[in-house]
Amino acid sequence: MNDNAITLLDAVNLALARALEEDPNVVLLGEDIGTNGGVFRATDGLKARFGERRVIDTPLAETMIAGLSVGLATQGMRPVAEIQFMGFIFPTMEHLVAHAARMRHRTRGRLACPMVLRAPFGGGIHAPEHHSESTETLLAHIPGLRVVIPSSPARAYGLLLAAIRCDDPVVFLEPKRIYRASKTLVEDNGEALPLDTCFTLREGNDITLISWGAMVQETLMAADQLTEEGISCEVIDVATLNPIDHATLIASVSKTGRCVIIHEAPHHGGMGAEIAATLSEQALTYLQAPPRRVTGDDTVMPYYRYEQLYLPDVEEILIAVRETMEYSG
Amino acid sequence: MKYFKLPDLGEGLPEAEIVEWHVQEGDRVDVDQILVSVETAKAIVEVPSPQAGVIAHLFGAAGDTIHTGEPLVEFAGGEDADSGTVVGQLSQAQNTESQRESFIIGAAPSSRQAVHSTTTPAVRSLAQRLGVSLETLRGSGPGGRVTARDVEHAADLNQSFGAPEPLKGVRKQMARAMAQSHAEVVPVTLCEDADINHWPEGTDITMRLIQAVAAACQAVPDLNVWFDGQQLARRPHHRIDLGVAVDTEQGLFVPVLRDIGNRSLDDLRDGLNRLRADVKARSIPPAEMQGATITLSNFGTLAGRYASPVIVPPQVTIVGAGVIRRQPVAVGNEVCVHRVLPLSLTFDHRAATGGEAARFLQALTQSLSE
Repeated sequence: MNDNAITLLDAVNLALARALEEDPNVVLLGEDIGTNGGVFRATDGLKARFGERRVIDTPLAETMIAGLSVGLATQGMRPVAEIQFMGFIFPTMEHLVAHAARMRHRTRGRLACPMVLRAPFGGGIHAPEHHSESTETLLAHIPGLRVVIPSSPARAYGLLLAAIRCDDPVVFLEPKRIYRASKTLVEDNGEALPLDTCFTLREGNDITLISWGAMVQETLMAADQLTEEGISCEVIDVATLNPIDHATLIASVSKTGRCVIIHEAPHHGGMGAEIAATLSEQALTYLQAPPRRVTGDDTVMPYYRYEQLYLPDVEEILIAVRETMEYSG
Repeated sequence: MKYFKLPDLGEGLPEAEIVEWHVQEGDRVDVDQILVSVETAKAIVEVPSPQAGVIAHLFGAAGDTIHTGEPLVEFAGGEDADSGTVVGQLSQAQNTESQRESFIIGAAPSSRQAVHSTTTPAVRSLAQRLGVSLETLRGSGPGGRVTARDVEHAADLNQSFGAPEPLKGVRKQMARAMAQSHAEVVPVTLCEDADINHWPEGTDITMRLIQAVAAACQAVPDLNVWFDGQQLARRPHHRIDLGVAVDTEQGLFVPVLRDIGNRSLDDLRDGLNRLRADVKARSIPPAEMQGATITLSNFGTLAGRYASPVIVPPQVTIVGAGVIRRQPVAVGNEVCVHRVLPLSLTFDHRAATGGEAARFLQALTQSLSE
């Protein structure tokens, strides 16, 4: 049973079990994560296996979950907290921004804050209000706070292990739309992936498609279609938004000269803007066309009946790529 | 899903009262079709169907209170599987064949090695306007950046002399092979004349040359080898596969005549004719131009006496044959006019000694003079 076809959600569960097993300081806490196994069953079976002192059901109080995690982490534990939906992450911001992210700095290196805050994020599952947002940029802006977003079972497994073993606070955002969308073979070998590099999913020469989270699926679908049209796409999963691996993005766009950045979060001030700005600063002389963004709209995430209108789709990516390919100064 | 349970209606409210059903048992419903209106403490909410299907059973009637998470409708068929979420619906994996993921940690190798023209958008635009291809320019700016002046200079040259013609196909291949040879090989060329005065009229010169190369290789096998300059290793060949340089309008082709040491003259002549015809028709397969162990350049069919022919690694030897001519030669103590064939032998001095090369040339000349 070492090598199974599993979903992204299974991979989260597998990495959590592995971490609980290999390090007695790892504890899980969150709302309904124990008996119920979590809103999406990410912690299914872990309370039964590791006991209620390691897998802790908390009251419905996100501020407390974050504060408790900061306290546990500074005292040598490795808490992995679950916030049920990213829409409920705001009560934790005080603890994340004012304490966790600056613990090392404030204590001149005497204390670290090795905590992980897991939260499912993104739309597309017909959920009600506050359950579909992508506000990763708010977190990625905070120095000292790592923001990690897997987009496949193997990367979920490797990155979550890395996040738990990391001595910095990590916000681990899980793209819930693709929680169960596909299965791949993942070996439970305890091997972590690096927390500060992009992942190149496809190698190509004509244009670089840059994305993360659930939108990686649409990006790959667009790349498939474009390949048939004779446009060779390089597809990069950014995966770690803070710190972000600019070197890989610059290397790729210097090669292709063109890029489209795809994310679900709103356009204005999104991570796409940060990436486009960096490419303009550091890869300008290689660009054949302006960096292009395909993003969610600058509006409150709509209710489920209209959420598909908000979410970027394959067609929008295709249009952006074709226009970028045809661009001439 | 078999049972659709009353979802969290987003208000954090634990229950709702059924106001009105919009479907009946036995109805076929579509995704998002409104099933029921319920009243929470805050509002009347319409609950859509999460899936298409046939309604088997409705739980509760108008006025009944349903708690969040309790069954609302039962769909016909299907299994009562855990949907894996308390709100909304997750798409489920459909793939039956599972694969391991493949991705590169960090940048792709092609991105790490890429060398592309670097310039500013303004210069790129200028180049486009002036019809200058940036890829043909060597930038004079910092870090090899192509400057506006570079582009303007190239445009001037284009206007005066026309655009440069990029090499293609065989010519491009030749340029690369020759440059590689020049960078790697340590060539030494020896020249000699073979007295062929006794050859009868109508002798097939090329066949005599091929036979002579075979005889020389058999006498001195040290020149029929491949040499690996990186590993400093020699690979001797028992078989002699002769590359024969063929000049065409498209460029230089070197098809390979196999095993020249063990084939009859007629067979070799047929083989060579076929290779030449294939080259002319541009139908020669790439495999027929690979794997030569030694090469013959018979430029004497055109013009020229001696040359310093270029070895293509990993080979270490090339034989050049010039134009046959009549010239005075000393025979005993008399001067006679004989037909002579000028020969040039280039060898890679990394792989063979001068002595070996001299003995090879001697065997070659002797074979031709017989």
